Amino acid sequence: MPEPIVEIKNLSVYFYTYAGVVKAIEDVSFDIYRGETLALVGETGCGKSVTSRAITKLIESPGKIVNGQVIYHRDDGSTVDLLKLSDEGIREIRGNEIAYIFQDPHSSLDPLYTVGYQIGEAMEVHGKVRNIKEGIAKAVNILREVLIPDPENRVKNYPHELSGGMKQRVVIGIGVANNPRLLIADEPTTALDVTVQAQILELLNELKRKYNATVLLITHNLGVVAETAQRVVVMYAGKVVEIGTVDQIFHNPLHPYTTALLRAVPNPLGKIEKLESIPGTVPNLITPPKGCRFHPRCPFAEERCRKEVPKLKEIEPGHFVACHRY
Amino acid sequence: MAGLGKFLIRRGLTFIPTLIGVTLIVFIIAYVIPANPVRAWAGGEKASQAAIEMIKKEYHLDQPWYDQYWFLVKGLFTNSLLDPLNQEPVFNNIGNRFIVTFQLALFAFFFVILIGLPLGIISALKRNSATDMTLRIIALIFISTPIYVIAYLFIWLFFIHWNATTLAGIPPGPPHTITHIPVIDDILTLDWSNFVQQVERFWLPGFTLGIAAAGVLMRFTRNSFLEAYSRDSTLFLKAKGVPKSRLYRHVLKNALVPVITILALQFGGLLAGTPITETIFNLPGIGLYALQAIMYLDFPALIGVTFLYAIVFVTANLIADILYVIIDPRVRL
Repeated sequence: MPEPIVEIKNLSVYFYTYAGVVKAIEDVSFDIYRGETLALVGETGCGKSVTSRAITKLIESPGKIVNGQVIYHRDDGSTVDLLKLSDEGIREIRGNEIAYIFQDPHSSLDPLYTVGYQIGEAMEVHGKVRNIKEGIAKAVNILREVLIPDPENRVKNYPHELSGGMKQRVVIGIGVANNPRLLIADEPTTALDVTVQAQILELLNELKRKYNATVLLITHNLGVVAETAQRVVVMYAGKVVEIGTVDQIFHNPLHPYTTALLRAVPNPLGKIEKLESIPGTVPNLITPPKGCRFHPRCPFAEERCRKEVPKLKEIEPGHFVACHRY
Repeated sequence: MAGLGKFLIRRGLTFIPTLIGVTLIVFIIAYVIPANPVRAWAGGEKASQAAIEMIKKEYHLDQPWYDQYWFLVKGLFTNSLLDPLNQEPVFNNIGNRFIVTFQLALFAFFFVILIGLPLGIISALKRNSATDMTLRIIALIFISTPIYVIAYLFIWLFFIHWNATTLAGIPPGPPHTITHIPVIDDILTLDWSNFVQQVERFWLPGFTLGIAAAGVLMRFTRNSFLEAYSRDSTLFLKAKGVPKSRLYRHVLKNALVPVITILALQFGGLLAGTPITETIFNLPGIGLYALQAIMYLDFPALIGVTFLYAIVFVTANLIADILYVIIDPRVRL
């Protein structure tokens, strides 16, 4: 039985905007197992990033975590609900035990400080080094680890002096600086050149092996999922629709949305006449569809789907789906 | 910081076209005005034809326009251009007056920064709260109240009621002069008694002059701070576990970059805004002199004042550029 490192239970995050309450994610539950790479997939705006940020309460006003628990299992066996921690309590965990890598390296780094300073700062604020000077000295080793050439000189560079791929390596360096137990990578390759994407994923996999860390990988690229993850959580319009191993999701997708998503990936080996797409549009989350949120776009929709919200059911060991067909 | 010398030289060279442009524009405006300055200089309607001819010759007014312009500019650089109203070189007339005005603008600038920056930051930190609302309304009042209303209100309050300022005369500068600006010399030579005298005379006019700009700076700082706060890099700092105080240090540094530009522009604006303040507070500054020059069609004086303002303006911008280089590594020399 795999042992969870984080259990997310009934998590709901709402954004209180002038247009109305945006129910960004609702009743999201899944576990992240120790040592695995879990992929969180779904279209843009389905709540992947919000879910990942809510794990350490990184939700800015007007957003609010309205419900749920995030149970974190420490290495020593103790557990804690992250959402109940004080500001200072959660700050000590962020970037230390649970670290993030954001999507766009061009905007995640502060343009006014050297990359060495920014890596060193990550260690300094968690007391891993005595002062920023020592932090910058240690940053050289981290830059070497994320395969940046000539780290002794690069450490003095400002973000604008580095390429996008290099910047993302720096961001990854900041992420792994404190040897985190869980690394949350929020679309780490989306903003990068295709040729650099593979290198960054390779680096992430290698660092994960080395530090024996757990990775939550957020992506909408199913190719990336197949290559790097062991398990997959599929989200649609703020809800989890299917959870399973990579094998289960790719070979035996149960939810009509997962099926449609997989069909939309072009096969590079065959000749493609027309790109597959899912009919309809992503629903407005201020007034989401009643019942199953996918029913307006679902070819199998029936009366029940319009009224009743489907619950996650375990169909085979480790394979969950939220659909009335099962 | 390598290459700062080169940068200064290059920026210094851009002064030349700027100054040529400024003087040329003022000259052209003066040139196309359908008034006859010579008659005014010679003493109005009763001026004799001989006097008029003499003045025309002296100021090259019978020559083509480029010769006139050259005559003016050469006169400025050699200080041989005479003010037609009192036959003194223009910069001799301007000299002491400019010191008064510059010191007034310095006091105003001090208040602009002292009020505008911290209140703007407080407003941003407490965004959308009652404090923020109050501060924003205060800023709006500062910006929109005419300076002569504020001036008389302050005189009534601080002079008549509390007797907290002096309104007559100009205290002499310290005996030892370095920069010729009394307050700066006081600070450099640690002459505190003279410093107090200067402050007593100048703080209220400076405060009055600076208050509108302080309101502008307040709102600008608030928005700049909030803009910097809403960036992804701020969220990433949070995700790194950076404590609040340190997070705000990052935000503040980022917010400061555009604020510097505004400050440089405001310093120039303060200089230009002095005539009303000088009139109300009875300060013999350059603003009043410039106004009189306009009334008497005294173009040599006018071009001298404009020239000086232009130099101050481009210098303020140069200082802003140097500050940019120090704060923002993306700005290369």
